[in-house]
Parts: sequence; structure tokens; C-alpha cells
Amino acid sequence: MAASLASKWSRVGRSFLGGLDHKLSGFLSTSHEACSNSFSQMRTVLKVVDNSGAKKVMCIQALKGKKGARLGDTIVASVKEAHPNGKVKKGKVVYGVVVRAAMQRGRCDGSEVKFDDNVVVLVDKQGQPIGTRVFGPIPHELRKKKHVKILTLAKHIA
Amino acid sequence: MRIEKCWFCSSTVYPGHGIQFVRNDAKIFRFCRSKCHKNFKMKRNPRKVKWTKAYRRLHGKDMTQDSTFEFERKRNRPERYDRNLTENTLKAIKTIDKVRSRREAKHIETRKKGKKAQLMREAVKELEQSISLVKAPSVLKEDKSYTLPKIKVKVSQAEAKNQPMEE
Repeated sequence: MAASLASKWSRVGRSFLGGLDHKLSGFLSTSHEACSNSFSQMRTVLKVVDNSGAKKVMCIQALKGKKGARLGDTIVASVKEAHPNGKVKKGKVVYGVVVRAAMQRGRCDGSEVKFDDNVVVLVDKQGQPIGTRVFGPIPHELRKKKHVKILTLAKHIA
Repeated sequence: MRIEKCWFCSSTVYPGHGIQFVRNDAKIFRFCRSKCHKNFKMKRNPRKVKWTKAYRRLHGKDMTQDSTFEFERKRNRPERYDRNLTENTLKAIKTIDKVRSRREAKHIETRKKGKKAQLMREAVKELEQSISLVKAPSVLKEDKSYTLPKIKVKVSQAEAKNQPMEE
């Protein structure tokens, strides 16, 4: 069933993006058999893991990268689900940094890391996080991308 | 740089190998190869999978307690660089490795050997208890040996020739 839905998305998505093949991560990021070779692209729903007020966010554009966003990249997203009294409201267009991705990312020592889910931290245009707390483990790949502020807020650095 | 242990099979993961999976509760699982990773994704328990070290240790196939294991404990304190210390450590690693593998081999050897003695003891007991099945007790009183007398049967040559070979 998931396979047929995925193929339907691929037919629809082709009109959006003009022929990319990685359509598996599309709609629901809550599936447990994480297909670990998929970027976060347009229409990818990501969880928000800070206290900015948003809960779920849909990627509109992956800045940098033809195929999509990976761990540590910034995306433009639209807030789909939000806490009733938060800084960010539903329907707002925000920037976000992908802090956990189910797709493995190579480290400079040759090993690869992957996380359990696709998760984002909302930032402003300058790259400063909107929220004041982040939850869950954060990889230290962000240090290279100059997102040091997010790392300082992190409880656990993977 | 650190040499890790695979979470599933307990083999060493050298730098540049394997995948590490970070769960949302911040627990890190390191795998040496995709075989272990795929088994983990299948939610298999390494204590039940026969080829893993966890299984072998649990079921007594491999050595569990030894003083050589103390040397391999994880230390999180960085040591100040001292060339002598490094050299001595490298030499020590070699000798400790040799000793440990020797002891492990011995453990497996004694494990495999033990069965023979047990079988002997069982056989002796069986002979003593159930000799009455093959030797009448009255005969046993006269001749107290546990071995049965050898009986020679004479076969005439003609008979042997007449009987066709069974195919």
C-alpha cells in the first residue's frame, strides 16, 4: 500500500519538480521502516524539536542541493501544525535547520551516522534559532555549518 | 579516534567502517557491517543469534571472566602524550592479545574434551547396573567379569558360496 501511494506521489511530484526519483520520504515521516536513502525535499513533513511553537513543518524548498536537504542543511518550510500559543503560527513560512535525518551522513573519519527521524529546528534568516530549547540528540555536524547556537542549546551532542 | 565494538556481534569497528545509529533517546548503536545493522533493524536479540559474541558468552561457549579483559576497559580520561608510555602500551597490547587468545582456545578445548570422561563414567555405570540384560545372574555369580565370552561360529565353505550376495 505504501509502495502504491509512493508511486502516485511520484507521478504527481513529477509535475512539481521535473523528474526526481527519491519520492519515498514524502508524506508521513512517522513510518518506522525508515528508508535511509532519502533527502528532505519539497513536501517532506518534518518534526520541529524546539519550543518555537510549531510542531510539524512541511519543506517548501531545500536551499543548497539539487536533490534535497540532508543533515545540517537549511530549508524553507511552511508551518502545518503549531501549538496554540507559540511564537510561530500555522501557515507561516519559516527557515529551518535539519538536525536529525534518517538518511545517513558521512563523517570525516569515514563512518556514517543516521538518526531515527527527520527533525528540524526553526531559525531566522540570519541562522539564529527562534526557540530557546532544543530536544533530543544533535549531531556535531552543525558546528561546521556554523550553527553553534543550536549546539549550545542541545542537551546531548551525538 | 577510537576502536569501537559492534553492538550486535561485539566485533571491533575500526575507523571508517560501519554505521552508527543514534536513537532519539540519545543511545548510540554502532554496527560493524550491514549484516549486523540489518539484524538490528529486524529487532533481533543478539543474545539469541548464534554467531554473536553475546550468545556465545551467555551460553558458556566462550570465556567470560578473565583478568585479560580488565585491560580492555573503556577509559574516558585522555592521557598526556608520553612516547615511552605509548611504546610500552603497544608492546603490552601484543602480549595481552596472545595470552588472551591462548586462554580462549584452551577454554574451548576443555569444553569440547569434557564429554569423553562423562561418557566413560556413564558407560561404566550402565555396565554395572544392567549387566543382567545380557548375562544371567547365576552365570554372573560363577564368572564375575563384565565382558561376555567370545563365541566362535563355524561357517562351512559350501554354505557361504550358495548364499547369494545381497544387493
